[in-house]
Amino acid sequence: MTELIQLLLGEFHAKMLLVLLSATQWTIYLSLTAFIGGGLIGLIFTVLKISPIGWLRRLATAYIWLFQSIPLLMLLFLTGLGIPAFFKIDVPAWLAATVSLTLFTSAYMSEVWRGALESVPKGQWEGGRALGLGFNWILYSIVAPQALRISTPPTVGFMVQVIKGTSMAYIIDYNDLMRWGKKIANSQLDGAEPYIVYPVVALIYFGLCFPLSQWSKSLEKTMSPK
Amino acid sequence: MFDFRFYEIWRESDFIDRLINGVWISVELSTAGGVFGLIMGLALAAAQSSVSPSVLRYASISYIEGIRNTPFIVQLFFVTFGLPLIFNYRWPFEASALLAIVLNFSAYFAEVLRAGIESVHRGQIEAAQSLCLTRRQTFFDIVLPQAFANVWPSLTSQFVFLFLTTGLISEIGVEDLTWSGRYIADRNFRDFEVFIVLTLLYVLIVFGYKAIFSLVQRYAFRWRVAR
Repeated sequence: MTELIQLLLGEFHAKMLLVLLSATQWTIYLSLTAFIGGGLIGLIFTVLKISPIGWLRRLATAYIWLFQSIPLLMLLFLTGLGIPAFFKIDVPAWLAATVSLTLFTSAYMSEVWRGALESVPKGQWEGGRALGLGFNWILYSIVAPQALRISTPPTVGFMVQVIKGTSMAYIIDYNDLMRWGKKIANSQLDGAEPYIVYPVVALIYFGLCFPLSQWSKSLEKTMSPK
Repeated sequence: MFDFRFYEIWRESDFIDRLINGVWISVELSTAGGVFGLIMGLALAAAQSSVSPSVLRYASISYIEGIRNTPFIVQLFFVTFGLPLIFNYRWPFEASALLAIVLNFSAYFAEVLRAGIESVHRGQIEAAQSLCLTRRQTFFDIVLPQAFANVWPSLTSQFVFLFLTTGLISEIGVEDLTWSGRYIADRNFRDFEVFIVLTLLYVLIVFGYKAIFSLVQRYAFRWRVAR
């Protein structure tokens, strides 16, 4: 495989591509962690947001509002530069990036899921209550399965936002695809001009994102309740 | 343990000036980017209508998918450092940043506007045709106002979401709000306080933008109530 790439692109560009591809793994790890972690936290706040207890609902509203309002860039600066400077502690870049993207993802995901839960007709809740079921049971066995159909396409679509968001983590020196792309583009080597490197980096990101957005679109067609 | 020193930010008038200037640059570039992006997005959305030639349609779709599936920062660096080498020109960084913002915003707006155009009822177009309106009149006077009215809320949230990513232009040396924050933090070493203030300023700007969008909604789409 490596030889084939070398044969096609020449030694220098083959090396460049391999470096970029191996840096892509860190982009993928960060995206997956943020998506899974953000999904779990998002799930908790989604449930809180529709819970019958008032102060829990307000807590969830505040959380979602807060982390949707803070720009991702500021979250990265706060966790990666602000907290280390303020508490005089050492925060590794990967940790700051993971925390930032997880918070960012969780806020947007719970917004999507709350919307899906609320789009399930009120009669479904009332029907469940008429059968003597409690809040948790109605949510779990009646409402959530219906909401799942509505929320799957935007959830998959949001993965694209997460992947694109990870590209910002290079500003706090997280060693992902973007950071290596920038390093190579700044290297002044022949054949590593910005107009070659950045399109390659863009193509790799496109290769990660495009299948997901197409998947999201096809899910939208097949899963739309009609 | 909690030793907040916000006064380290407003003690120096230089820092305050930088922040004010940063707010201005951020608002200026994102507003200009929003306006031009909307115009370009409209062209992209119109190019996708069923009457336009298929070459144009595919070009528009590829452009939109290309932009929407790659990060803004890569587009920004390509526009700032790549394009000038290819076409051999020199622009100030603000101009490159604006170009990147317009190119980026337009693809997202195009997607929203396309949904808006598709949401206009077919009967509206037929009625316009039966009144002998030209295609241009039908599009600009009948379809477009309704499309805008239908998707105005999505357009608002899309713009706000995009605005929150424009801080990245500080990476190429544009002296926007994020740049000002880093300038100050590099000098007073109060990163945490500086970025808290910066976040508050961003939130305030978002409130301002949302207020403007809802004002437009209230006055520009008044005719809608008549239905």
